[in-house]
Amino acid sequence: MVVLRICGVDCYYGSVKVLENVSFTIKSGEFIGLLGPNGSGKTTLLRTISRTLKPRVGAVYLDEVELFSMSSREVAKNIAVVPQSSSLSFNFTALEVVLMGRHPHLGRFKLEDEKDLAVARRAMEMTNTWHLAERWINELSGGERQRVMIARALAQEPKVLLLDEPTTHLDINSQLEVMDLLKELCVKNGLIALAVFHDFNLAARYCDSLILLKDGRIVSIGSVENVLTSENIKKVFNVDVIVKKHPLTNSLYVIPVSSIKPTLAKGRSLSIHLICGAGTGSALMKSLIENGYRVTAGVLNVLDTDYETAQLLKIPVVSEAPFSPITDENYKANLEMASGADVVVVTSVPFGRGNLRNLEVALKALEKGVHVCIINEEPIEKRDFTGGEARKYFLELSNRGAIFIKDRSELMLLLDRMEREKIWMK
Amino acid sequence: MHSEKSSASIEEKYLKRYAKWAFITLSLLILLLLSMVFASSIGPAQIDAGKVFGIILRQIPLIGGMVNKCWTPLEEGAVLQIRFPRVLSAALVGVALSIAGTIFQCVFRNPMADPYMLGVASGAGFGATLVIVLGVGLSQLGLFCAIPLMAFIFAMLTLFLVYSIARTGFGIPILRLILAGIAVSSFFSALISLMMAIADEGVHAAFSWLFGGFPISRWEYIYVAAPVILLTSALIYTFARDLNVMLLGDEEARHLGVEVEALRKRLLILASLVTAVAVSMSGIIGFIGLVVPHMMRILVGPDHRILIPSSALFGASLLVLCDTVARTILRPIVLPAGIVTAMLGAPFFIYLLIKSGRTLM
Repeated sequence: MVVLRICGVDCYYGSVKVLENVSFTIKSGEFIGLLGPNGSGKTTLLRTISRTLKPRVGAVYLDEVELFSMSSREVAKNIAVVPQSSSLSFNFTALEVVLMGRHPHLGRFKLEDEKDLAVARRAMEMTNTWHLAERWINELSGGERQRVMIARALAQEPKVLLLDEPTTHLDINSQLEVMDLLKELCVKNGLIALAVFHDFNLAARYCDSLILLKDGRIVSIGSVENVLTSENIKKVFNVDVIVKKHPLTNSLYVIPVSSIKPTLAKGRSLSIHLICGAGTGSALMKSLIENGYRVTAGVLNVLDTDYETAQLLKIPVVSEAPFSPITDENYKANLEMASGADVVVVTSVPFGRGNLRNLEVALKALEKGVHVCIINEEPIEKRDFTGGEARKYFLELSNRGAIFIKDRSELMLLLDRMEREKIWMK
Repeated sequence: MHSEKSSASIEEKYLKRYAKWAFITLSLLILLLLSMVFASSIGPAQIDAGKVFGIILRQIPLIGGMVNKCWTPLEEGAVLQIRFPRVLSAALVGVALSIAGTIFQCVFRNPMADPYMLGVASGAGFGATLVIVLGVGLSQLGLFCAIPLMAFIFAMLTLFLVYSIARTGFGIPILRLILAGIAVSSFFSALISLMMAIADEGVHAAFSWLFGGFPISRWEYIYVAAPVILLTSALIYTFARDLNVMLLGDEEARHLGVEVEALRKRLLILASLVTAVAVSMSGIIGFIGLVVPHMMRILVGPDHRILIPSSALFGASLLVLCDTVARTILRPIVLPAGIVTAMLGAPFFIYLLIKSGRTLM
């Protein structure tokens, strides 16, 4: 069992403090992702662990041995680094470069022998670069070269592998290949891997734990679920994101949402209640808010895209537990919200048993004199999964004077006119 | 099956390179010996290459007695006292400059680097000029001893000065080192010009010294210089694999267990030491240290484990031959060898520059 312990580390470049009181422990087999904005100290942390930079306070221990009490050769036998990019502009073959990884293992007068070649070959086969063995390193593509660099690091037979944005120069296929390889090395060989990532989703999918850095300090450390929250990401990167669990990979994924610009339009008096779901209302919510309308929505299931958008835009919502039909309580709350609005807008959401009661709300609101607009981008026949009941509601709504419109832009025009009429009426 | 077979041969091919390296080294060694014998046989009086070979062999203990003496004492004197010391000096200087050039180009990761980069040449030149201009009272023999000695002292002094200027609290940054070298070098060059302007008596001697050549090759000096150059070169060679790794860049070399700062300092001092010895023997001979490592990189590749010995041996042969050309082509005028190396080296370097537009290292 290998233990890498970083203990109260403070690092400086000159008089500038770049790491402050960083402490954590990694055990063999763990794959840790290091996240943080540019200049947050990620690379500095890697340099500290690779013994390139001496911390002013604190120390790094590998199996309870302080790194600076080891020779640099000894460190190189245990800790390997894959650089962000490598400036190789001379004629070495890929195999020769990988064999350089054997340097710390070889005595001063020793030449590489069959054993070293076997290690190099294994490393190159693992990174899928053996077929490039005799090619010149400076003639390889960025992705191939990156994989050769990983092979060189593996040829060091390290216990700890440090990687600075290992996937940045790779295409998606090679990214997954490299990440699969790293994961496998951790699980099977007990390697410790600590890698800087800019891609949350890749890190979330493969890493056991994450470390979130900001201004040289650890903001959050721990399991992917605990670290990768929209609050943390907002705090560190100052961007709004939605964090969801991917149904297929069962790992978290992060979707950035462009932050809402403060509305330039003057506030409008018209209040609008949305009946939407499954993402059909998200874009509409955004343009309504940006145009200065007051917006509410319901009933939306938690985890529904529209629910998350509403949360993000701070739109009042009547919400229901994930994938659950609407309860009486929420039905009433929704009806109340809809009746209080000037206009109820029904988007082209598919209707099933779960959300059919939202149409009932629309009908009741219409009866109470609220305008109802139905965006009919797709005919109801195609999105009625209730065996005709939704269609019946649509017929009823149509008979009682609900307005059917083609799309969002038509709705915006209509709302504009209604807004002016409302002002006139006053 | 096919891929299995071809991939096995990749490893075999790699291991075969060691035999190839041995073959290259041996071939270049034979080339050097042949050029030395050839160079010793040429002169105002032509002496058979066979005879030269015999004269030299006879000096070697144990096997010397087996050689039949078939030459005149005059021939033996010409070879042993005049030609062979000169040829041997040229070979030693060739070794020193080629190795130093290889080291400087690698350590600075700069294909234009040469052994005189840190001002060693100008420093040594200043020391030599000082002797030539001020040492009027000295006997001929006194001059012969004083020039190399002062050249060496001033070369080392320059090196110390350049290092002191370049040093910062964090170590010795390469760029500072190069700039300090340029500054100190310019200063000493100016001093040389000043000395030559004030006193015109020794001007010709100083000039010929600055162009580089072997007019004063004596066994006494070879006895001192040869061990220094050969031992230092051997020491440098022990760092051959570290040099390969250093080509990857400081940070990556550190990750592979190379103590970059310490190694760089050690290598620059060793390379400057052999350069200083070379300069004190022969003045400033240009282009050998710059061009030979490039030629060898093309021929044997960038691996320093073969690059260093082949550069050393080929550089030695080249300088021996250049010096032979220098002293025979306009006979009886003896040209400084530095002029010949420059005339051959500069066009070759331009050819290199044009041909390998991609990269020189």
